[in-house]
Amino acid sequence: MSATAAVPHGSLDVSSTDQVSMLTLAKVEIRKALDTRAGFWFVIAILGLVVLAEVIYSFAADDTDKNFQDYLQIPGGILGYFLPIIIIMLVTSEQSQRNGLVTFTLEPRRPRVVLAKLVAGVTLAVGVMVLASVLAVAGTVFGMVTGASPEWSVDGNLLFNGFVLSNLIGVFIGFAIAMLIMNTPGAIVAYFAYSLILPIAVGILGALITSFEDVAPWIEFNTAQTPLFTGDYTPTGEQWAQILVTGTIWLVIPLCIGIWRLLRIEFK
Amino acid sequence: MRDAVAVRQGGRMITVERLTRKYGAFTAVDDVSFVAQPGRVTGFLGPNGAGKTTTMRVMVGLTPATSGRVTIGGHLYKDIPNPGRHVGVLLDASAQHAGRTGREILTLGAQTMGLPATRVDEMLELVSLSQTESKRRLRNYSLGMKQRLGIAHALLGDPSVLILDEPANGLDPAGIRWMRGLLKSYADRGGTVLLSSHLLNEVELIADEMILIGHGRIVAQGNKEQLLAGVDHKVTNVTALDNEALTRSLQAKGFTVTPAGTGLRVEAAPVDVGRAAAENAIVLTDLRSADGGLEDLFLELTSDTQRETVVPGTQA
Repeated sequence: MSATAAVPHGSLDVSSTDQVSMLTLAKVEIRKALDTRAGFWFVIAILGLVVLAEVIYSFAADDTDKNFQDYLQIPGGILGYFLPIIIIMLVTSEQSQRNGLVTFTLEPRRPRVVLAKLVAGVTLAVGVMVLASVLAVAGTVFGMVTGASPEWSVDGNLLFNGFVLSNLIGVFIGFAIAMLIMNTPGAIVAYFAYSLILPIAVGILGALITSFEDVAPWIEFNTAQTPLFTGDYTPTGEQWAQILVTGTIWLVIPLCIGIWRLLRIEFK
Repeated sequence: MRDAVAVRQGGRMITVERLTRKYGAFTAVDDVSFVAQPGRVTGFLGPNGAGKTTTMRVMVGLTPATSGRVTIGGHLYKDIPNPGRHVGVLLDASAQHAGRTGREILTLGAQTMGLPATRVDEMLELVSLSQTESKRRLRNYSLGMKQRLGIAHALLGDPSVLILDEPANGLDPAGIRWMRGLLKSYADRGGTVLLSSHLLNEVELIADEMILIGHGRIVAQGNKEQLLAGVDHKVTNVTALDNEALTRSLQAKGFTVTPAGTGLRVEAAPVDVGRAAAENAIVLTDLRSADGGLEDLFLELTSDTQRETVVPGTQA
């Protein structure tokens, strides 16, 4: 080969190839979240649950409580529990279903894939939230059919804090847990332990130990978030501080460790 | 092939330089160096667990190297933009979401690489997966169908380099022949193919160049003739009309003879056995070297890494 060293043997000319754009990566990730039976029907099931809850509410609630805002709180609660599962499935399937081998071969710059997944997760969450809001409108109209004269105005704090912000926090929590555990069933169990069992445990401890009640919002993220979707939906300065402190413990730190892990894990 | 201009025979498309990968105390790949040339099919051969897959995983950046490096066309894999357009990779045909259809898996690949949807149909046709089959979910695919889908996925971006780990695994004989033809013509058009296998016969038929690996180390490399150049044929299988007479004449010459099936196994070269038969006017019905050629060489070279301790045919 030395005799023909002047000829550029066996080289790849990559100068005319563009990187895979972030938009393309994010679009593919959104598609991946919806193109399996599990993913597609999970989203349908969430929306179906919202419809069901609003119909039951229409028949059960007093006519004076059938305002748009009341109907908006129903999907707010349901999505809060289930939206994170969508992103948990999207992230953990790379390892559990092993398609990470292909994903990270087609885009070996892993931070870009992580970002694309996050963009996809947030986009999906916003999409589901918009659909849920439309269902809340439909629910309110249905409430009128059952005899109510609803109030259509919405408290901006409820909309932002109780609906958008709390659900986005949930999506990020799902993202962090998914990357930390990297196994679909394991991550879902961990997520429900975090979102259901942990607040109950804290509640019990708070009931037994009076002093713990004051400490709880400083150490438990779910408890700290309660002011976002209750009362006047406006946390006080101290409550924001509690959200910040617990958010660092339960969200920022796990998210950083999770990303660190995803960037290094050997997909087999 | 878009990069065909830059590809000429005799170059080095894939260059593995002193690659080592350790997992704690275990060394999966130990100081491995080799090249895969454009226009040729390079076979990467070794027993199970020899380090083939790890080497290929390092090649495409899924596993970091402990030391050493691999370049493809002069680049580290992670520096190649939209790598699917340049390097087609199939590491494990089963490593796909079991709930996706074959068509959906190809569509995701095509979208990522920025290819038109028509490319998916072209590839399905190329690997002979029917429209109906392409709409079935991967969990319902046989291993052979998964391999075809994986090869389609690797070829999606019209790459000039193919890296395939055990691509013939699970294919039926017709499928293996089809793949052989596909890869040969791909290499003839200037493409670089690196394929691994633990089956020697498979690689022997298709590869222009062979890299033998055992215990994480390269034990031999070259084409078939080069690999066999140093092998002496010292054992012969022979069958004669009168086996007893032949046995006597061979033993008279001092060769060890043992009955084997309907014939004899002689520790001598075929030429010596033939000569003994001719001198005694014994009619032979079968005469051949008992060495499996490449197979024996392969087993011998990797013997200390084989899981089985008793390997027939490798007394030497």
